[in-house]
Amino acid sequence: MSTEDKNLHHGEPEIDELTKDKYLGGHEYDGIRELDNKLPRWWLYLFYITIIFSAVYLVGYHVLPGENKWSSQEQEYEKEVAAAAALKPADPHGAIDLASLTPLTDAESLAAGEEIYNKICVTCHGKFAEGLVGPNMTDEYWIHGDTTLGVIRVMDLYNVMITGVLEKGMISYKDQLTPEQFQQVIAFIFSLQGTNPPKPKAPEGHKFDGIG
Amino acid sequence: MELQKFYYDNKIVKMFAYATLFWGIVGMLVGVLIAFQLIFPELNFGLAFTTFGRVRPVHTNAIIFAFVGNGIFTGYYYSLQRLLKTGMASKWMSTFHFWGWQFIIVLAAVTLLAGYTTGKEYAELEWPIDILIAVVWVVFGWNMMWTILKRRTKHIYVAIWFYIATFVTVAVLHIGNSIEIPWSWLKSYPVYAGVQDALVQWWYGHNAVAFFLTTPYLGLMYYFMPKAANRPVYSYKLSIVHFWALIFLYIWAGPHHLLYQAVPNWAQSLGTVFSIMLIAPSWGGMINGLLTLRGAWDRVREDPVLKFFVVAVTAYGMSTFEGPMLSLKSINAISHFTNWTVGHVHIGAMGWNGFLTFGMIYWLFPKMFKTKLYSVKLANLHFWLGTLAILFYSIPLYWAGWTEASMFKQFNDAGTLMYPNFLQVVEQIMPMYYMRAFGGTLYFLGAFLLVYNIYKTVKAGSFAAYEEAEAPALEKEGGRKPGEGYHRFLERKPVQFMILSIVAILIGGLVEVIPTYLIKSNIPTIASVKPYTPLELHGRDIYIAEGCYNCHSQMIRPFRSETERYGEYSKAGEYVYDHPFQWGSKRTGPDLWRNGVKTGRNYKPDSWHYNHFMDPQKMNATSIMPAYPWLADYEINLDLTAAKIRAMQTLGVPYPEGYDKVANDDVKAQAEKIAAGLKAQGIDVGSNKQVIALIAYIQRIGTDIVENK
Repeated sequence: MSTEDKNLHHGEPEIDELTKDKYLGGHEYDGIRELDNKLPRWWLYLFYITIIFSAVYLVGYHVLPGENKWSSQEQEYEKEVAAAAALKPADPHGAIDLASLTPLTDAESLAAGEEIYNKICVTCHGKFAEGLVGPNMTDEYWIHGDTTLGVIRVMDLYNVMITGVLEKGMISYKDQLTPEQFQQVIAFIFSLQGTNPPKPKAPEGHKFDGIG
Repeated sequence: MELQKFYYDNKIVKMFAYATLFWGIVGMLVGVLIAFQLIFPELNFGLAFTTFGRVRPVHTNAIIFAFVGNGIFTGYYYSLQRLLKTGMASKWMSTFHFWGWQFIIVLAAVTLLAGYTTGKEYAELEWPIDILIAVVWVVFGWNMMWTILKRRTKHIYVAIWFYIATFVTVAVLHIGNSIEIPWSWLKSYPVYAGVQDALVQWWYGHNAVAFFLTTPYLGLMYYFMPKAANRPVYSYKLSIVHFWALIFLYIWAGPHHLLYQAVPNWAQSLGTVFSIMLIAPSWGGMINGLLTLRGAWDRVREDPVLKFFVVAVTAYGMSTFEGPMLSLKSINAISHFTNWTVGHVHIGAMGWNGFLTFGMIYWLFPKMFKTKLYSVKLANLHFWLGTLAILFYSIPLYWAGWTEASMFKQFNDAGTLMYPNFLQVVEQIMPMYYMRAFGGTLYFLGAFLLVYNIYKTVKAGSFAAYEEAEAPALEKEGGRKPGEGYHRFLERKPVQFMILSIVAILIGGLVEVIPTYLIKSNIPTIASVKPYTPLELHGRDIYIAEGCYNCHSQMIRPFRSETERYGEYSKAGEYVYDHPFQWGSKRTGPDLWRNGVKTGRNYKPDSWHYNHFMDPQKMNATSIMPAYPWLADYEINLDLTAAKIRAMQTLGVPYPEGYDKVANDDVKAQAEKIAAGLKAQGIDVGSNKQVIALIAYIQRIGTDIVENK
């Protein structure tokens, strides 16, 4: 590449005093000169390695025949889901006898329930369960309960959380929370009865006499 | 040989340098503002034109095209004339270029804040400005090539190779990505949709980084580094190999922005391998820069110019290693959509572009004003402030990125997400947002020191608009001489050089872009996917105008952690009517693609969305989303419905013939239904308001394949 310049200068190329490298003759641009150094070896090998990597990569993902081909992103996903499904217990909520549930009252459960409430429920039911998009849950009025019984039960709320109330925007939480967590958050909600939060939403549903 | 007298135009250099400083300050100030908006949503001020979604594109455009753009032209006008031993070919072209560019920047700021945007990152400007950019760019390039042809030096230096490659490639990218159908004086739809639009956009977006932030700055480095150090360039051979390898390989790497997304696997693989192959060519530039300082390292300790250059080139080396690593699927699965990417680009922008610009400015002004720099001490202070700023900016964001990814992906023993609420992650990274804002502020303060230092230097110096120089005329030389290397020969044939550069960058571009037309037939069509209703189309345009894509994605990747969180992963065929695509590149808030799916886990009723748009913190106390109260005041512009429908029909969206004339009936019917539903929930809002259209759109996206099953 630089032969013509070397040919222009009969005799030895000029040497840079500080580095002892050879200058290229004739290469001078606004005072900027260029040295005749080779490509650094390590740099060149790095370049070769990345090219080999690329060839292997493309062959692995796109050229290998049939089964030997590396997984596409869709196949990776199938595997990931299958592996998780094998570990995940079958619908844990199915095994619960809802009618037998009574509200938890221990402090630990209430605290856990409060944490879940603040993570998930708060965005629609409000900071104090005073109601926002969803109904107020601190008063004695409930939308989903058996009015013939006169009391609101754990299973009434449990069912709402299982099925959701899609037309109102309440989704199902059966895949997000365990039966234990369901009971904890329900216990917390029941503990808020009669707390009279600021700016309560007007009552909705039917009046119930208490928790049963 | 007789010496010819000629003049270097320093005035144009000075004008661009002042513009660089001015827009640098503006761009950084806007950056500081949006960094604080992510901490204090009140700083969005409840006004459309001060809200994050509109302001963030002003920051990115101001830094890239105004600060760095003017920086490029500053160094380019100074070095080009001297490297070619001639004045600029056309003075009016230089002047037109300057004012044209500044005019574009002002138009950009005004239109973006007013909500006129294409919704494509770093290509947000609308069609009339696109045309203006093309005109100004061609004038700039024409003037450059003409000047090169008029030169008095035999060969063109490596800096000019990079300038030529920059000119041709940016032209190709800008035009290729901006093909759009206007439907009003300020609005258009891109001809590409969905997957095609994504591939073309990131072919552009990636190469905007390559050919606007990288190649021209390598050109500047090749001039100013050896000049400031007064040392020879380390290796001419390395210049040749890394130049051609860089421009040839860079253009292919765009799809690495779309890994694990709904684009074909082959395109993703090309994006990955070409990114990996870019490590060495990029590092070639870093090596040639750093090793040029051999023999001058003692001066680096004292000279702030060299200090800035050393950090700039080192930052370049770091970013160009990190970039390829982020292009590996396994790493991208972690980094993408998080703050890691933001940290990564700021190493490049603050370190490489910013510091190279600062060093160049500190070197140029004393030269042009024939005086000493006012204060070396202040320049050193700027250097340390800036360096600290980069660390304070990027380290917290890397940390945030890791935190986000690990929290988003974590499952508990019951097989459900450990952190199902997006806000849990937002709350966790708030301290990192604070530190980032602090880092950004430091950087801004440093730039202020620069401006002050330059102001004092200018005051003390004397400026000559035209600098006299002399050199012998260039003798005509013909074909390749015996013993002359092929590349050496090419260096005295600038037109051939330009053509070869175009060929080098077109190969990768065409291989990736042409199949995107063919892919159209390959994208598995999904019968249930239907065009948007005209009300949803209005809503979509509001989504774009407000810049929702700056914080929200519409792309669910095939990971269990994402399908658990957001619902079924995205399919290519779902986006065939999306002109433009709105997949997003960062999740400051959650993905929205399946928010409207009623059986999905993120469904919220219309009333929730209404309340949330009006006051997000009422719904989620720790949310950092800005409020959008004006959406309940502004009306949907029904006069535009027909033009939008017709533009979509031109693009092949199957609305029935004549639908443009009756579409407003459907707009009203659907809007009234939504308004009535809100009314039943106690929300009184007119059916003609923008918020109704936006709710309609949000509830529609991503629902076709799920609900019409």
